[in-house]
Amino acid sequence: MSTPAPILDVSGLCKEFVLHNIDGRKVNGLDNVSFALDPGEHLVLAGSSGAGKSTLLRAVYRTYLPTSGRVNFVLDDGRTVDLAVIPDRELLALRGRQIGYVSQFLRVQPRRGVLDLVTRAGVSRGMDVPSARDAAATSLRRLNIGEHLWDVHVAVLSGGEKQRVNIAAGLISPPRLVLLDEPVSALDPENRESAIELIGELRAQGVAVLAVFHDLDAIARLADRVLLMRRGRVTADGPTGEVLPMLKKEEALL
Amino acid sequence: MSTTLDGLVGSEQGVPFALLDEESKREIRRALLHAVAVPGHQVPFGSREMPVARGWGSGGLQVTLAIVGRDDTVKVIDQGDDEGVNAVNLRRLVVSSTGVEETSEVHEATIIQSRHRIPEDEMGENHVLVLQVPVPEPLRGVERDTRELSRMHAEADYSRMWVSLYEDIVRNGVITQSTGYPCLVNGRYVVATTPIPRWDIPRLHDASFLTLFGAGREKRVYAIPPHTTVEPLIFDDIPFEVETAEGASCRLCGSAESFLVSAPGDDDSWSCSDTAWCRRRRQK
Amino acid sequence: MNDPQRAVETAPAVLTVRGLGKAYGAVDDAVISRTGSDRGSARDPLSGSIIAAWDVSFDVAAGEALGIVGESGSGTSTVLRCIAGDVPATCGDVRMECHDGGTSNVLTADPSERRRMRVDKISVVYQDPAEGLSLGVTAGGNIADPLTAAGWRNFMAIRERARELLARTDVPLDRMDDIVRTFSGGMRQRVQIARALANNPSVILLDEPTTGLDASVAAGVLDLLRGLLEEMNMAAVVVSHDFSVIEMLTSRCIVMHHGRVVESTLTDQLLEDPHHPYSQRLVSAARA
Repeated sequence: MSTPAPILDVSGLCKEFVLHNIDGRKVNGLDNVSFALDPGEHLVLAGSSGAGKSTLLRAVYRTYLPTSGRVNFVLDDGRTVDLAVIPDRELLALRGRQIGYVSQFLRVQPRRGVLDLVTRAGVSRGMDVPSARDAAATSLRRLNIGEHLWDVHVAVLSGGEKQRVNIAAGLISPPRLVLLDEPVSALDPENRESAIELIGELRAQGVAVLAVFHDLDAIARLADRVLLMRRGRVTADGPTGEVLPMLKKEEALL
Repeated sequence: MSTTLDGLVGSEQGVPFALLDEESKREIRRALLHAVAVPGHQVPFGSREMPVARGWGSGGLQVTLAIVGRDDTVKVIDQGDDEGVNAVNLRRLVVSSTGVEETSEVHEATIIQSRHRIPEDEMGENHVLVLQVPVPEPLRGVERDTRELSRMHAEADYSRMWVSLYEDIVRNGVITQSTGYPCLVNGRYVVATTPIPRWDIPRLHDASFLTLFGAGREKRVYAIPPHTTVEPLIFDDIPFEVETAEGASCRLCGSAESFLVSAPGDDDSWSCSDTAWCRRRRQK
Repeated sequence: MNDPQRAVETAPAVLTVRGLGKAYGAVDDAVISRTGSDRGSARDPLSGSIIAAWDVSFDVAAGEALGIVGESGSGTSTVLRCIAGDVPATCGDVRMECHDGGTSNVLTADPSERRRMRVDKISVVYQDPAEGLSLGVTAGGNIADPLTAAGWRNFMAIRERARELLARTDVPLDRMDDIVRTFSGGMRQRVQIARALANNPSVILLDEPTTGLDASVAAGVLDLLRGLLEEMNMAAVVVSHDFSVIEMLTSRCIVMHHGRVVESTLTDQLLEDPHHPYSQRLVSAARA
């Protein structure tokens, strides 16, 4: 069996923040990070807070502009682009359609109905409206967002509800690469369970996932591989079974 | 005791034909030629002091005096009436300063100067209609700035005129503007047809006679040459309607097909506005 | 435009701005070198010339919104007004797909041509509704204006289109025949937006569209604009000093300081990872 070509190939990625208004202080975010991610593979970033996990997600998505290094991404037509340097408008064309990002919070909270918001996300990735609506309804039900909330503006929902709507919108007709930043951290156990299930199904759809999860249980269930980080560097990269014990040991020390 | 008028027109020497000196008449004629060449376009001219007050037909009078020749026959009406005080005064001034014939019959006249009306009788290419205009600027109601006004005409930017018609219908259910209804001339310039009623507007369209508009106070002339399109500004789905008085007819001649006016203080007593036309009908 | 060099296909720009500049007073290379962000002023201390905007370049595609961020006086509104034709630009090249297919510089078109473009190709929503509306005219009449300018001559069709636009912008239809002067600030802004959309422009320029409105009213107007920009496939330029407006409406933006562009970036990147010292100051002030 041949190994598939990676969908994402990050090499020598560095991110340094220059704080011009605090004496030009420099803060190191990422230091020479390299890893590859295969289609359908689920890679979880682990490490204590401040290790650079979210920074890495944002640098891949280019919410942070990488200082140096490459973020090679293979397009659906097989060509490769470096996400660190392609023009802004090209990057925007990839966002949402080929690269998704689900964060802990909705950035912008328009006064738009829940079902409408999730449906639109599906339509933006090429679904027709009726099937997007069906898919949106299905995933909202699975995430326990009852129909009585479907026409309610997202802005007035509770934090946990917003989070689940966000997951539904992020995973409907999923892009080929999904970046998840602690997507289940704000959820109660029952809702957390349904969200983890939904995320787990991405593997069968061939969707590559790069994720930050806080809790070890989620990591154990969702990760094929774990990238352990500390102070912006990768300290370990291997199968979940190998890296998880190292992570547990590290947490125990703290 | 001699009056100023006598002084001006009575003496043989020093007073030129048609009151105005040749330079002045030529200047007005140049403006008129310009106006005829660009139908509906308002052309400025150096309005002279006249022995009638500005606003009392001084613009129309200057146009008439500038174009009148020794072979012309002049008819002057005010509100359709040859015997109106203003009409009589103006006619006397034209005739006494030129010696030309005067008439109240349209078919005899070559120059018809009018305030408020177009005669009911058929006019042809041998006629020149001179209208006395108080407000030559059709956009005055929607804009005061003269630079902006000339820009709007130059760019045929008449949307604010349309908005005022729209607002009129919204407020009143109908277009209430009666006299001076704005018209598009030759598909290009919007003109004020002040002071004629809507009744007379269709007669300007593709007319075989030349119409010259003179505004003395505002120092403007404009023209509608023969066989020029004159379209009242009107929405496609709202018909242009002329004034009608339901069931009314002239108490003198019995006419129901002419422009009727009600007698002062008596809204039920109607008579023809065009007195010469009415008189001829009665004589038949 | 399908550049074979480019791997990712993007929608073609329908508005292209290159080297746009607006100077008050004499301008030469020396004046330019003595002004700008790094000199701390748009005013040349020697000549007194004010370089309100200089060397501004950007592209906007259909269905895309670009933000221009900066404090008042930084040149943001000047750029917008030069593109709109309200203010003559000193230099630059502005092309629009809707004007000669983008083959000629809009800035050199004669003033009457530029005014005609404002009828159905390019619309502006001003901060002050009095600038974009006739306050003494009804809401419907304000919409009838661009419609009749574009040749609409059917009264009922004009009414219907006005109703449609007012409904879309959440103006109660029973206010349609009221004079705009009797409207609240938020409602006036909605009428101004309705009017701007009347002839389906391909470019819409928004100048501080919610500044001066109460917070709750501003939020409603912002929602409205966001929905419209998503639906109508216009190229939009949004000038605002308010990051919540920029974040809500745009995906890319430029930052201006003393008349110069100091940063051109993705909107989320500006908010999370601003690079220029001035951008960092702006963002941290907005966060405070």
